[in-house]
Amino acid sequence: MTAPAAPAKPLFGSYRPLADAFDEFFTGDGAPRAEVEHVVSLLDRLGRDEFRVRMKLAEGVFLKQGVTFSVYGDEQGAERVFPFDLVPRTIGAGEWQQLQLGLEQRVRALNAFLSDIYGRQRILRDRVIPRRLVEGSRGWLREACGVRPAGDTYIHVAGIDLVRRPGGAFAVLEDNVRTPSGVSYVLENRSVMKRVFPRVFQHARVRAVDEYPGRLKEALLSLHAERSGGRLVILSPGPYNSAYFEHAFLARRMGCELAQGQDLFVERDHLYLKTTRGPERVDVIYRRIDDRFLDPETFNPDSALGVPGLWRAYAAGTVTIANAIGNGVADDKAVYPYVPKMIRYYLSEEPNLGQVETFLCSRPSERAHVLANLAQLVVKATDEAGGYGMLVGPRSTRKERTEMAERIKASPRQYIAQPLLELSTCPAWVQRGVAPRRVDLRPYVVTGRETWVLPGGLTRVALRRGSYVVNSSQGGGSKDTWVLDERS
Amino acid sequence: MISRVAEQSFWLHRYLERLEGTARLLDVNLTFLLDTDLPELARWHPILIASGEEERYAGVCGLDVPDDGERIQAYLVWDERTPVSMWNSLQFARDNARIVRDTISLETWTAINGAWIWLQSRDARRLYREDRHAFYAFVRESCQQILGVTTDTMLHDEPFDFMRMGMFLERAGQTIRILDIKYHSLGVTTREETAAEAAQWLAILRACSAVEPFFKRTAVSPTGPAVAEFLLLEPAFPRTVMHCVTRAWHFLRRIRSLSGDAEIGTTSVGHLQSLLRHLRGLSVERLLNRGIHRELLIILDRVALVSNAISADYFQANLGASVAHVES
Repeated sequence: MTAPAAPAKPLFGSYRPLADAFDEFFTGDGAPRAEVEHVVSLLDRLGRDEFRVRMKLAEGVFLKQGVTFSVYGDEQGAERVFPFDLVPRTIGAGEWQQLQLGLEQRVRALNAFLSDIYGRQRILRDRVIPRRLVEGSRGWLREACGVRPAGDTYIHVAGIDLVRRPGGAFAVLEDNVRTPSGVSYVLENRSVMKRVFPRVFQHARVRAVDEYPGRLKEALLSLHAERSGGRLVILSPGPYNSAYFEHAFLARRMGCELAQGQDLFVERDHLYLKTTRGPERVDVIYRRIDDRFLDPETFNPDSALGVPGLWRAYAAGTVTIANAIGNGVADDKAVYPYVPKMIRYYLSEEPNLGQVETFLCSRPSERAHVLANLAQLVVKATDEAGGYGMLVGPRSTRKERTEMAERIKASPRQYIAQPLLELSTCPAWVQRGVAPRRVDLRPYVVTGRETWVLPGGLTRVALRRGSYVVNSSQGGGSKDTWVLDERS
Repeated sequence: MISRVAEQSFWLHRYLERLEGTARLLDVNLTFLLDTDLPELARWHPILIASGEEERYAGVCGLDVPDDGERIQAYLVWDERTPVSMWNSLQFARDNARIVRDTISLETWTAINGAWIWLQSRDARRLYREDRHAFYAFVRESCQQILGVTTDTMLHDEPFDFMRMGMFLERAGQTIRILDIKYHSLGVTTREETAAEAAQWLAILRACSAVEPFFKRTAVSPTGPAVAEFLLLEPAFPRTVMHCVTRAWHFLRRIRSLSGDAEIGTTSVGHLQSLLRHLRGLSVERLLNRGIHRELLIILDRVALVSNAISADYFQANLGASVAHVES
């Protein structure tokens, strides 16, 4: 069976890119972009009818495989299938190479920053970043000063959120260096795509993403070379967590155990797993629990998710925790504007990746500007993620703006503002055909002794017409991200 | 393996076995009823007793309502308030499977998740309405598919051993409950039996997929003592109590041999060995002298003891005390 050369209804037949945004597939005059032209034509030739059939097929596969997430605020444990769009976001080989360099550079600098501020604090003493800003961050952890994680690695897994601006350049929107999630969807999306579009896939020369779990395992275990056969467990908050599917997925693919806080205990500064053979030592934890909930003895005493005494074991150096404790200060949105300075300071390099102009509400002049221009700006809480606590000025009501202004005045350090970005668009399936929808991109960077960037990442898409918010908790979906091989 | 995961694996398969057992029980009662002229309540009431749900059902639905058969079936199939309903058994199994998703294979997960999606569908309701036998058969087939892919797609290692142990202990209990239906509907079994009694014993064999195996093993007709002896003591048929307990013992020994610590598991070994000895000492004479019903209750209690001991030995072990032991 071959796809007809000219289907009655080519997939992109009536597709019109938006005037003010960069489109991932088409130039302003409607021609396919050179780097992705091959993929565009493969998809186009499938035609709309065939595409619809395969969309149904994909939905069935997701439901049956139980690829779900839970939504906070829903009745406990309610699961949903993560909305998925079948048009792959595609990135050319040359472009990806540039991105990869930029990502490696950024993670290196952020890691050097953490190592420095929890060590000698050169960057603070040299007044490159204000001490108050760093030590006033909610992610700052005084206790972590002087504690050296194995290999001096703080950021074992980073998810760097990128957007593409109207000119076509990628820019960093935010860094996630605590417990970034979503990578399981990258792998699941890929397996569904292969099944639904075997032929297109085969001809498109897409780089594989399957090595991720193996790479992560290798990276984590590389940091524990002194004890051979180090035991690695994933620590999850449990089945009611929205990312539990992912925790189980990674445990399965990494061939390690999936533990909850109740399965672990600390005795004389060593961490043990409660097993059917009695207690067994644990050497490395890949944790998916926030710092604050990790150890009720040291942090939030109400946490039932963590392990009492874990901090002691960590500080004593008997266990490696990934990501390190105290990373929150590095992805604080108010610290973000200083990342280019970090890159210059620690690496003596110019940043490869741009980032977004940001106003810190803690600075009086910038705060005044933000308060005067709320209707044009996007305001974000510095320590929130997932699109929570956010105000999109141009789409807000007067009441929402008044409330936000009050919150900013009450705790200016907690807020930053950025211009509303014209995120790039990519064709997405909507009912009877394809239409442009906004996308972002979260690539994943894994660091043990060395750094590796997953060729691809999670492309999130705002499936509602006119929406800019790509978070799954707010009506967003995901796409497979195809990074093309050089030969194609 | 992690104690909690062992417990959830163990229960995952207990729930699945319970689901299948309930489907067998209800299905066979439908068939059996065609051969009798008992009043409605007397036909279905024993099923409630065998499921341990008599009291709760009386509280929820009240006794002596017309169309008890339908009420009781709905209660044991769909009712979320019934702890042992098929609905709950499958939902609990699926919840456990989701939690231990990293332990089971993709095929097992897909099969369990698929069964759960089906039970919630209109198709399932329609089948239940239009062809009850086909409904129960479908559930049983789903369970068998799950068990089959589990055996053939995962490592035969500790998690698998706990699953099988859970399954066999639950199945031993289910077989005992099915056997006891006779006592609750037609009373004490003696050497002399009525035609109705003989018909019910045959139905009980059928509930255990044991009609042909029974005739291959014995030359006698399916009277009470013969059927009870077969379903309790035949070692080679996979649904008999003897077989189930022997298999549970096999898996417990495997688990023990994986463990370096001889201290762990001594209580469950003790209870399981004593149950095995008890079964080996049984005979038709003893069954009739003591009364089949009474003997069944004794065995059921002993199965529960084993189950509790496994829980204490492996799932809730007191670990703080044994760290020094590990370190030395």
